[in-house]
Amino acid sequence: MARPQELLEDNPGKKMLLLANEAIARGVLEAGVRLVALYPGTPSSEIGNNLTAMAPHIPNFYFEFSTNEKVALEVAGAAAIAGVRSMMVCKGPGLNVAADPFFSLAYVGVRAGMVIVVADDPSMWSSQNENDSRYYALMGNMPMMEPSDPIEAKSMLLEAYKFSEMFELPVLFRTTTRVNHTRAPVEFGQIPTLPQKVEFEKEPFRFVPIPSVARTRHPWLLKQIKKAQEVSETSSLNFIEGEGELGIITCGVSYNYVRESLAEMNIQAEIFKLGITHPIPEKKIISFLRNHKQVVIVEELEPFIETHTRRLAQLHGVSVEILGKEQGYFSRVGEYSPRIAMEALCKVINCNTTINWQDIDERARKIPDIPPRPPLLCAGCPHRATYYAIRAATRGKAIYPSDIGCYTLSIAPPLETADILFDMGSSITTACGLAEVTDQDVVATIGDSTFFASGLPGIVDAVYNQHRICLVVLDNRTTAMTGHQPHPGTGVTGMQKHVKPLDIEEVCKGLGVKYVKTVYPFESIAGLVAEVREMVKWARDNHSPAVLVSKEPCALLTAADRRREGIELPKYYVESEMCNSCKRCLNRLSCPAMYMDPETEKAVIDETLCNLCGTCVAVCPQGAIKREVE
Amino acid sequence: MVRNSSNTINIAISGVGGQGVLTLAEILAKTALAEGLNVRVGEIHGMAQRGGHVVCTVRIGDGAKGPVIDAGSADLLVGFEPVETLREIHLIKKNGCVVMSSHVQYPVAVSMGQAEYPSHESILQSIHEFTNRVIEFDAMSIALNSGSSYSLNMVMFGAILGTGLVPISKDSALRTIRESFPKRFEQINIDAAETGFSTVKTCL
Repeated sequence: MARPQELLEDNPGKKMLLLANEAIARGVLEAGVRLVALYPGTPSSEIGNNLTAMAPHIPNFYFEFSTNEKVALEVAGAAAIAGVRSMMVCKGPGLNVAADPFFSLAYVGVRAGMVIVVADDPSMWSSQNENDSRYYALMGNMPMMEPSDPIEAKSMLLEAYKFSEMFELPVLFRTTTRVNHTRAPVEFGQIPTLPQKVEFEKEPFRFVPIPSVARTRHPWLLKQIKKAQEVSETSSLNFIEGEGELGIITCGVSYNYVRESLAEMNIQAEIFKLGITHPIPEKKIISFLRNHKQVVIVEELEPFIETHTRRLAQLHGVSVEILGKEQGYFSRVGEYSPRIAMEALCKVINCNTTINWQDIDERARKIPDIPPRPPLLCAGCPHRATYYAIRAATRGKAIYPSDIGCYTLSIAPPLETADILFDMGSSITTACGLAEVTDQDVVATIGDSTFFASGLPGIVDAVYNQHRICLVVLDNRTTAMTGHQPHPGTGVTGMQKHVKPLDIEEVCKGLGVKYVKTVYPFESIAGLVAEVREMVKWARDNHSPAVLVSKEPCALLTAADRRREGIELPKYYVESEMCNSCKRCLNRLSCPAMYMDPETEKAVIDETLCNLCGTCVAVCPQGAIKREVE
Repeated sequence: MVRNSSNTINIAISGVGGQGVLTLAEILAKTALAEGLNVRVGEIHGMAQRGGHVVCTVRIGDGAKGPVIDAGSADLLVGFEPVETLREIHLIKKNGCVVMSSHVQYPVAVSMGQAEYPSHESILQSIHEFTNRVIEFDAMSIALNSGSSYSLNMVMFGAILGTGLVPISKDSALRTIRESFPKRFEQINIDAAETGFSTVKTCL
């Protein structure tokens, strides 16, 4: 990671290797953005991680990790209406959470520039869907830009703010994983100074969209988009390069794959690269279509540009062959690569790829079974102990609604404690539905950050409607999955200010939960199992929700602390003579730090991987797992 | 035919989450940039890092536009672990170079008896179906001898430079290491990189 203080350097012309997410954080500084609000979500997470580190050092700048994306969009939207540049950042599913204010914001518009960064995740490296967020721009009539690499992520961001102010509309800035998580040399620009407080000028008949107001705003919005389209026609963000009989229209990261493919295969083609993908430059596209007999559309996920292009060709009677997803040249699933572009182009112009991929695939298929290594709960993860106890207490027979976070990894054997999941907060609400229509016990799990982000309405529902659900809050004191951001339970803000944390137990009690207890997963496994049993019984007997807060910091944080402070703690080991090779430790815990020594056939703890939780000690029936004495 | 991308070196780095694959990719690319070269790095974050298989790409040279290295396109495959090397072997170019650490880190599926870890011979045999240029050594023992298992990625950094395939000087690499890590770990990391470098040199 680039050091945040390097991103603060007032050193125009300096070139630094940056992730697009770091380039966007730097762009915030260069665009004179006064307020950024977000809830972390991969692949956009490093934007917030860098901004929180930079924030205290930027005069008049405000940054917050908001409770969730809806909150973040409202906070940032209001700031732009008040008259300062603002930004909201989220991952694709995060924009769904913020959809409600999104549409209103387009109707009322903004007075200063506003950008909504949305990071889609083709191939779902760390998301529950690969929905194409570009349709939000179409449905909400919000201008949209799509950078193709880290260099454009910054330069285009600066243009997005100008565009936003030109039309008094927020701009949707849509990235994908392969943009967000690519590093490239990015050149620094000037840093302006930020305004202090502004005066909010009242204009209720614009900013309060009661029906009579909204009816005037919708035509206004359509007019603005019409104007934006004229600018889109001449903007240098939509450009044509190269020449050739073949035409290619592309946007985002696919543009790079197209360029690499053409170079690799020595094909001549004219490329139309779209940076502004709503409103698209219709006239320019029509004339591009007229200049070619065949136009290939290369874009990941949905046929967004493709459908537009077909519409325009039909509308203007252009006879051109448009080749894309509709005929199966490209897939609507997963991310692309130069190979995918090359294979499609070869099909179009009827040639062979320079690399014989069929042969490589054939050889790869012949490799004997490679053992899988999916992501899993880390060595020393407190969730492992909690899930072990939940499973033991309910003998695997309860229903286990899960939620969004590292802990969803408990889906894997042997923990197998994730049965249903929709979105942030759905553990609690799906539990309510299941408890109502089944006779099974329901034990839901939710992380601490997710609890605050989207869990509270579900708890209110469970209390008020008397759902007999059990909820275990896995409180690891951080937003772990996205890279350890603070949340309202941690006592640290986005400005790195120390404040009074919200206590999860108190919050539950305040919402009316009658049974709330805090437990510590590393204290005693047997005790933890007993606590889960008691909670399940209470929820059944009282036909009301019961909550356990299982509190223990994320193992990655405690390990990093130890390393930083140079603390060496006594290690755990397996007393080889006492181990009878029953494999209970391996089979019940699936800890990545333990394995079977193929020679001795005894369990072994890899001390370079062990994070010293000690959960395995209680699981060994022989008492063979021990700790060194100091 | 000389391809337009022939001026670009594609390096794929494969390992297990937590082994320092991402850090190595960044340090390597930073050094390339310091040498005035164009560079792209492709990373995978989030869910993919939790002890699972991780693969990063570093592409150095003017032809590098996007971050992705396709099957049959890597000049160099750097494997932190035998099975993880094998998992990405399809990326290697015809006659590309594989640098692999022989130290095994058993996947949980193997520990639980749900899958078998392939024999060393069968791993090498499968790799040889793709290329015969394989450099293998125990990078973990070098890391431990240098002072910490965490220096594994710097052993691999030295190893990459030791192949001579990457247009980066060792001095420049050591400078990046000094600039990138806390002082306390400097000597460990430098030693790790130096030993990785010389070990691979003797293998060539």
